[in-house]
Amino acid sequence: MIGVWRRHQALISGVTSFAIILAAWQLAVDFGLVKAFFVSSPALVTTQFIKQLHSGEVLTNLSVSLYEFAWGLGLAVVVGGACGIFASWSRTFEAVLEPFIWFKYSSPTIAFYPIFVAWLGLGEPTIIAISFIFAITPVYANTLSGIKNADPDLIRAARSFGARRHDLFLKVALPGSVPILVAGLRLAVGRALTGVVAAELFGATAGLGFAISFYGQKLKTNEMMVSLMLVVILGIIFNQLLSLLESATDSWRTGPGRAE
Amino acid sequence: MAVTTQIEPRQVPSLGALINRHYSLVVSTISVLVFLALWQISADQGWINARYTSTPSAVARAALVIFRTDNFFYHAWVSLSEFGIGFALALVVSVPLGLVLGTSRSIRLFVEPPLMAMYTAPRLALLPILIVWLGIGMASKVAIVFLGAIFPIIVNTIAGVRDADPRLIQAARAFGATRLDIFTKILIPGCLPAILMGIRLGIGRGLLSVIVGEMFVSEAGIGYQIMTYGQGMQIDKLLVYAFVVSIFGYSLTLAVKLMEDHIRSWRPAS
Amino acid sequence: MSQIELRDVAIEYKKPKSEERFVAVQGVNLSIEKGSFVTIVGSSGCGKSTLLLSMAGLIPKARGSIRVDGREVTGPGPDRAMVFQDASLLPWRSVHGNVRFGLELQRWTRDDMNERAARFTRMVGLGSFSDYHPHQLSGGMRQRVNIARALAVDPDVLLMDEPFGALDAQTREVMGDELLRIWERDKKTAIFVTHAIDEAIFLGDRVVVMGKNPGHIREVIEIDLPRPRTNAMLDSETFIEYRKRLRDYFASDMQSMQMVRDVA
Repeated sequence: MIGVWRRHQALISGVTSFAIILAAWQLAVDFGLVKAFFVSSPALVTTQFIKQLHSGEVLTNLSVSLYEFAWGLGLAVVVGGACGIFASWSRTFEAVLEPFIWFKYSSPTIAFYPIFVAWLGLGEPTIIAISFIFAITPVYANTLSGIKNADPDLIRAARSFGARRHDLFLKVALPGSVPILVAGLRLAVGRALTGVVAAELFGATAGLGFAISFYGQKLKTNEMMVSLMLVVILGIIFNQLLSLLESATDSWRTGPGRAE
Repeated sequence: MAVTTQIEPRQVPSLGALINRHYSLVVSTISVLVFLALWQISADQGWINARYTSTPSAVARAALVIFRTDNFFYHAWVSLSEFGIGFALALVVSVPLGLVLGTSRSIRLFVEPPLMAMYTAPRLALLPILIVWLGIGMASKVAIVFLGAIFPIIVNTIAGVRDADPRLIQAARAFGATRLDIFTKILIPGCLPAILMGIRLGIGRGLLSVIVGEMFVSEAGIGYQIMTYGQGMQIDKLLVYAFVVSIFGYSLTLAVKLMEDHIRSWRPAS
Repeated sequence: MSQIELRDVAIEYKKPKSEERFVAVQGVNLSIEKGSFVTIVGSSGCGKSTLLLSMAGLIPKARGSIRVDGREVTGPGPDRAMVFQDASLLPWRSVHGNVRFGLELQRWTRDDMNERAARFTRMVGLGSFSDYHPHQLSGGMRQRVNIARALAVDPDVLLMDEPFGALDAQTREVMGDELLRIWERDKKTAIFVTHAIDEAIFLGDRVVVMGKNPGHIREVIEIDLPRPRTNAMLDSETFIEYRKRLRDYFASDMQSMQMVRDVA
């Protein structure tokens, strides 16, 4: 029994705490501590969920949001990764990009939402663009940092065997930067999802963010909660997936020398 | 004994040498200037539609107008207070919470899963429900700022506590330190850099939250102005407000970063 | 003509953020015969590692010439292989993958690479650890991989910079024996930098003693002990004699350090 606990500690405690929260939520509503109008309840949300599932609404919203998310993230990874790699090769390129990265970092991207709408119209392209911009920073930053911070000892050893610049890049810097890249990817996934939801709140005709906004404005808490819960669950799923990816790619981390 | 250093006569660095040393800075500045120039020129030449993008000169002119006539300071004050109150509340709650969670393994085991779920979930999705609960006034924005800022601070504080050097704690114990002593004299100073980093991240999120919140639904504030001007296609004024937020956010995070670096420099390389 | 010729070599470092230059090594003249095992010993700061790095072609020299087999050294090359104090193994590769690394960089053919990597992994005694990753190995084992990697590319000269410096005393001794055992097979020209006197005498045919301020060669001592070396030799009179000579050198180094501190 203890063995089971030890091995799956995280999973068990995770599930338990969620169960407790759900139970507390339901009880709070049942006992009148909070009004269902404001917070809904697990029971009501479940009913609504089944209803929306049957009507196809869940599927539509999910697929629209996921489609935009995939595009936003995909573009961010490709463009951010390429720029990061290029910037690690060329100091000039890095310096050219730097002020814009800084600006992007400290300004609220959403403020430029009206401009995107003006260019790309209300709907998917704008949402994908916002998601792309949200997600690109960690990808670029981590790619650049991972490659630049390659272990200097390894670089020196490779050079002693006559490695040329592209050897150093392909065989030492790039493989060595995988953990940082994955960490960046993890952040990017979260940001891309946030970007999609936030942009959908403002202007969309379908999608999870749209549903949240739509029902929210009509004060239909139960319906709104379905989409909200879906967003949270998506976030958890993605995070866990990336956690797994992180451990899979990290298995070779060199710790202090083990005893003989 | 042989001379260890041979000092060559100091020369006044040439322009080329100066550029070399500050190469990155020079290139970055040129890059910004080129961008601004291209922006202005392509709008003037009609290559791009200035209605959608405005121009640097128009933005500059609009800035003057705004600062003089537009109730700018009123809106700025609204946003600043929403941000300030929300952030202060976040600090008060999250630092102690983070410290407690960092030290108590059993509590952390149960609190961490929902915490991480909230950290990674897009909190902006809660905007509509916050509006339902708290109305369209300042309260809902304070709430979203609070939610935006607490999680980075808590998560980073926990990480900071867990990184505490066990050797220092051991040494303190050897001198008879009580649990409270260890807490106040070693743990808290020790995880200060991590807390500051959490604060820095929290600032970014908090600012974003207040602007998004105001853009979504509000009666006043910088985000409200941005949305109004956006819908009215007055891009030049929109950009002025956007830049104001950027500069504010940049200065604030820079200030915190400097504090962070200063404190980090005390610590030996671990 | 000997295999390695150093003539009037000087190496300088530019101090960061200033125009001053620091002279690491000056006026070095040295000839090394093919197939000999030469150790370089000196206290910290005498420039022994710096000298080795310039022989490897990893740092430039300010003056003089370094020739290997008649060719001037201008950069790293397949004729020289380096073993650093830090094993510098790619953590994401297995032992086999790491031993292959140098071969890949020098573009050997696929079959040769695998065959040689396997052979040298076995030679250093890690045959059954071929699929292990560095984080699963002890410090001594990692250094063996490091050595195997260097030997695999069939260099003419083996350059070693305090390879056992990070190991504990017992492991050091074992590794020293191992190194000689491996070296005896092909008798490659080997240059071994260390600050441990006993190690320098035990391993070398000749010991190059370096001094500092600036780095220079004080003496080259021929070690008149038969090969293969045995641990029993450590107690022989000849060995003790050599040890005494070297310790006298180091004692004077310590004294001069003292003088600098008094004056400063």
